[in-house]
Amino acid sequence: MRVIEDLTRNRLTVFFRFFFSIPHILWLGIWTFGVVLVAFVAWFIVLFRRELPPGLHRFFTMYIRYAIHVNAYLNLAANPFPDFLGENGYEVDLEFDPPAPQNRWKTGFRFVLAVPALIVGAALGGGASGAFSSAGTTYGLQLAGVLSTCAFLTWFYALVKARAPEGLARLQWYGLHYGAQVAAYALLVTDRYPTSDPERVGIPWAAPEHPVQLVHQPDDGTRTRLTVFFRLLLGLPHIVWLILWGVLALIVAFVNWVVTLFRGQSADALHRFLAAYVRYQTHVTAFLGLTSNPFPGFTGTPGSYPVDVDIAAPERQNRWTVGFRFLLAIPAFLLSSALTTALWVAAFLGWFAGLFTARMPDGLRKLGLFALRYGAQASAYGLLLTNRYPYAGPPA
Amino acid sequence: MLAALAVWIYAATRLWRTTVPAGLDLPAADVHEWFTPKQLADATSFERFLAIDALLAQIAVVVVLVLYARGWQRFTRESAAGRIGTGLLLGMLAFAFVWMAQLPFGLAGVWWEHRHGVSKVGVLEYAIDSWFALGGQFLFVCAAIAIVMALARPFRRTWWIAGGAVFTGLALLFAFLSPYLIPDLDKLHRHDLRVAAAHLAKVEGVRGVKVSVEKVHEFTTAPNAEATGIGATKRVILWDTLIRKPFTTREIRPVIAHELAHLKRDHVLKGVALFALFAFPLAFVIAVVTRSRGGMYEPGAVPLAILVLTLLSILTTPLQNAFVRRYETEADWVGLSATKDPAAQRAALKLLALTAKSRPNPPALEHLVEDGHPTILERIALTQAWERRARP
Repeated sequence: MRVIEDLTRNRLTVFFRFFFSIPHILWLGIWTFGVVLVAFVAWFIVLFRRELPPGLHRFFTMYIRYAIHVNAYLNLAANPFPDFLGENGYEVDLEFDPPAPQNRWKTGFRFVLAVPALIVGAALGGGASGAFSSAGTTYGLQLAGVLSTCAFLTWFYALVKARAPEGLARLQWYGLHYGAQVAAYALLVTDRYPTSDPERVGIPWAAPEHPVQLVHQPDDGTRTRLTVFFRLLLGLPHIVWLILWGVLALIVAFVNWVVTLFRGQSADALHRFLAAYVRYQTHVTAFLGLTSNPFPGFTGTPGSYPVDVDIAAPERQNRWTVGFRFLLAIPAFLLSSALTTALWVAAFLGWFAGLFTARMPDGLRKLGLFALRYGAQASAYGLLLTNRYPYAGPPA
Repeated sequence: MLAALAVWIYAATRLWRTTVPAGLDLPAADVHEWFTPKQLADATSFERFLAIDALLAQIAVVVVLVLYARGWQRFTRESAAGRIGTGLLLGMLAFAFVWMAQLPFGLAGVWWEHRHGVSKVGVLEYAIDSWFALGGQFLFVCAAIAIVMALARPFRRTWWIAGGAVFTGLALLFAFLSPYLIPDLDKLHRHDLRVAAAHLAKVEGVRGVKVSVEKVHEFTTAPNAEATGIGATKRVILWDTLIRKPFTTREIRPVIAHELAHLKRDHVLKGVALFALFAFPLAFVIAVVTRSRGGMYEPGAVPLAILVLTLLSILTTPLQNAFVRRYETEADWVGLSATKDPAAQRAALKLLALTAKSRPNPPALEHLVEDGHPTILERIALTQAWERRARP
């Protein structure tokens, strides 16, 4: 992925962005229909020749490039109106390796093999929805993806500031890059499986200093099949404990809010209690999400778990931001919720991988770590443990 | 120790007592008088499979727990929790192994019951339900281990005294709350049965007891009823499979009377006392056996403790069943005194046996180990004995 890192946005085009995108969405829909038909033919060709012909390769890469341009424009990850042909040179662009021989087995089962990547892609992209009916009642579920949540938040921010927030933009580039990898894999452009490792996808950038940091020990991804199989049930006592602790934490957070509003700084004891809660929440989520392997303790003690949160001591906070913290934290919680959905998707897929290979795939694990970091920072911000807003950019 | 033994024997003697006349001579009932050879053959074939299945499941559980108690160390590497947290993990893993060991036998049992029309639960449904039930077990296991390991800190060698008391208290609380923990309870809508229940409650002197209906027809065709709760929560629960055909009102009355008799004679409370009677010695034996692994203070003692508890439970089950059978006999006797209708009771017992496909006269060993009720034949004989006594 290649990005011109210009965060300025035109307020007028931001305001009408969806409407401006409609011609592209229609054109993309028509193009997609053609691509699906051609992909079926391409599948037979690659199965026999082991390689995608250069003409088809160019057709598919242009399509993927165009889809990324449209998505970047629609989701406010880029500013200029894209062209309709998927040519090189857009603000958010892609480069592809030339056609290379592919493994026939991987080609034969490509449609099945692509399913997990497509699921992660849905979580990182626009989201997913589903509905079913039972006894005359229809039940629906709508999950916002990371990319669309970022777009929603960026829309408000860009209207006010005429620029996109850096963290959100980087997160969107990460999501777009992953989506491009999935499309390239599904359309037989490459047989390299997509990786969701935030350190390798998007435009990795060292995160700025933050008082709430995720610290984790090296992990080779090895998991025990037995504890993977029973992971959810083994986590039940922790879930119960977390809920009980969470109820108390809410009460303490309110007290902390009053104290911080008057003193301009959290009380040490309240800060310690809430910091332990955030750490414990991270430990439990890491365990349930297969981001880490060992069974965590119940106290949220610092340094007691391989995936831990380092929370700085209480600092002076701006009383205005303290007073309106609940409202200010809403965007962070929205994004945290989208990233947590991605974490659970990674956990769901990692569960199968863990059962079969006794390993948690590196990309899924690092996606989990990223979601945990943002979640911890968002919780710490909401619970007044820090004045600093959570940073949404993926880690370098 | 001798004093404790004396107290135990005294308590056991008190709990053994019932109002069934001592030296009651049960007439020898002839099974062929009540059941056809085909019915007997069907029930025998049905129950024999389940008995063998249950025995194999029991053996598998013991084998798995023995292996786990020997090789538990490798699982401590899976824990970043402290002393109690690691104990909880080891406890949950023990039950996870038990679940895996029992699952094939459970599936076989469900398949067999389904095939004979007793259960309506499918094999997949059973596997999923048992998976979620395992989650509930994990929570109970964690609570129990957390209590024991917490008590073992101040009372390294004598935690079993406080532990026995705490668990008895919890059993009492559970007995009190149990009517509220049963899902799908509904009011008894049938007017004739409501009138019958009110009349029997008045006769037995247990007024104010609610009678509810539990919806189970989606899962089973077997009829059943139970008495739950203590004090203000006392309740009789009838399965909806009991209050429909082929049971008539006359045949349902003895069942209601039987359950009311349980409440009249405080059998739920006595059940808690029975739990305490076994909980203290069992906890004591666990405390002694686990001393070789540092006692229950150490998480490494948990796998051994669960093995010992399982073995002791298997060994003491016949004795516990003997107590429970005494209470069931007493409930039959008191119920008969309320309905004064031994013929209806015999008809109900026969129907219960036929619909549940249970053997009226199972082999003695199987009966001693597995049954918490007297055999159907013994219960029929009891009605005859009552009839004989009631005759002027």
